[in-house]
Amino acid sequence: MNNQNKDQNAEIISNNKSSDKKTSKNIVEIKNLKKSFDHGKITALNGLNLEIKEGEFVSIIGPSGSGKSTLLNMIGALDKADVGDITVSGIDLIRKKDLSDFRSQEIGFIFQLHNLIPNLSVLENVEVPMFESKISGKEMRKRALELLDYVELSDKIKRKPTELSGGERQRVAIARALANKPSIILADEPTGSLDSKTGQVILQRLKELHEKENVTLIMVTHDMNVASLADRTIEVLDGQVQN
Amino acid sequence: MSFFSLILKNPFRNKTRSALAIVGIAIGIATIVALGIITDGLKTSTEETLKAGGSDFSVVESNVSDMFLSKIDESYINKIKSVNGVEDAVGVLTAIQPIGGNPYFVLIGIDPNKLDISNIKITKGKSFSNGSAKEVIIGKVASEKLNKTIGDTLTLSQKKYKITGIFETGDLQQDGGAFLSLENLQDIEDKPDKVTMIYVKIKKDANVDEVTKAIEDKYGNDVTTIASLEDLQSVDQGLNTIDTASWAISILAIVIGGIGVINTMIMSVFERTREIGVLKAVGWKNRRILGMILGESIVLTLVAGIVGSIMGVLAIQILLPLGMEGFIKPVYSSDVFIRGFLVALIVGLIGGFYPAYRASKLPPTEALRYE
Repeated sequence: MNNQNKDQNAEIISNNKSSDKKTSKNIVEIKNLKKSFDHGKITALNGLNLEIKEGEFVSIIGPSGSGKSTLLNMIGALDKADVGDITVSGIDLIRKKDLSDFRSQEIGFIFQLHNLIPNLSVLENVEVPMFESKISGKEMRKRALELLDYVELSDKIKRKPTELSGGERQRVAIARALANKPSIILADEPTGSLDSKTGQVILQRLKELHEKENVTLIMVTHDMNVASLADRTIEVLDGQVQN
Repeated sequence: MSFFSLILKNPFRNKTRSALAIVGIAIGIATIVALGIITDGLKTSTEETLKAGGSDFSVVESNVSDMFLSKIDESYINKIKSVNGVEDAVGVLTAIQPIGGNPYFVLIGIDPNKLDISNIKITKGKSFSNGSAKEVIIGKVASEKLNKTIGDTLTLSQKKYKITGIFETGDLQQDGGAFLSLENLQDIEDKPDKVTMIYVKIKKDANVDEVTKAIEDKYGNDVTTIASLEDLQSVDQGLNTIDTASWAISILAIVIGGIGVINTMIMSVFERTREIGVLKAVGWKNRRILGMILGESIVLTLVAGIVGSIMGVLAIQILLPLGMEGFIKPVYSSDVFIRGFLVALIVGLIGGFYPAYRASKLPPTEALRYE
């Protein structure tokens, strides 16, 4: 993809108004966040505090069970905290009841296991998140095609996910995550199920997304090499951010 | 891709399971449709027999469970004739006997001079004689089925009756049977001086409601008037029983079909737990997930409605030559198919609601963790 195309894609990918790389504005503010499972027997987050600036690329590392995925789920409003405050993109996730609009408009998820819908084509998978937006079917298709062009899968739009390689599937997942022009991309071990070469391609694409489009990128990983690509690395241990 | 096309696509992901669910529901719908076609045919035939072409209404015995069991004393013919507004009253005796391949061969005993009230058209030969002469006219359908024509004989209660004519009425029950003198049928049925019903024709300036009211007021203890199918259903338990059975089968189809749909949709939701988690993660609202699963359930049952309707019509086509022909003329009314589809829709809604509700309430993180 040439630079001219990339510039054209800037508007397609993100709705971030600011062209500055990073602002002083916090996009994520977490105070004393606690979350436990199994009736309090398992503590996932134990009074966690965290601030992430708009446009920042943050990687979250930590051993298994440290609470890093729980933290990502909290930021993405997939789970509710027991105690504490969490504000993302100015929205109080503790007090706001229906968070589907928040997830649809502000967040783009990339999972370790791509989680594409098997009976839908590549194009349809990218269209799925746009059902909740107010755009027409024609616009939906146009945007999905543009995003698939961005991830260089224009020639495979009619394929089913099973007909793609692991890297291609993850590129579809990236296009899907960008469907509603989110402010934040949350990536949970995005290269965890890929070989190192394919993983590098995906990371490169994510980094490029962050650098060129000023999208806030929060990535959970247990790989230090992967984490080192970020502007900042946060280590989570026993449900708390380590200083 | 629209949300609607996604709903149309999803139920056929597991083709075998969906096909089995569709067949299960379709059998229930087919039963409803087939029974509806038969019931409507039966009602139409009964109504045609009841009105007998030229009459305005009929008089039958009060409190009788089935119209064919009605027994009125012949003296009522003259009594009804004398009621203000009545132009003519004709007593008929009806009976059913197994003749040839038809287990429901309809015999109608009537005064041959009053045949015009039955609106019959003798297409070949002539009418039968009144009194005890052993003569009979048979319907066009009966003639074809029995392979008999003018000059042949028809054996009724071990007595041979000469066929003097072939008639046509347009009513399958009558065209599949025979007319003979009232006296002869009273003798065959051992019902001397009795008739099943009295056909009543009113004067041009008279009003049916007023005349029937006058008869009910005067002779209501012994006889009742039937001017419509609704009137018949209020006295004839036979048709009511068929209607009740039809509803019972519909309810049974809803229950059995509903359980089948619940099972299919629960399995589908169960298999797609992770996918539902993803849909929630990308911002789908609970009500959209509920709508999707409920929509899929309705798609499944509406396809079953189409398959069931076809199966029901085919079942009638198969059953007709196996004894129903010559007795019931199937009536393919839109009501029957609407009822079939309505049942399918109810099954879809009832069977789909619980799985859809469950899917919509799945916590996203739990759904995403599901393996």
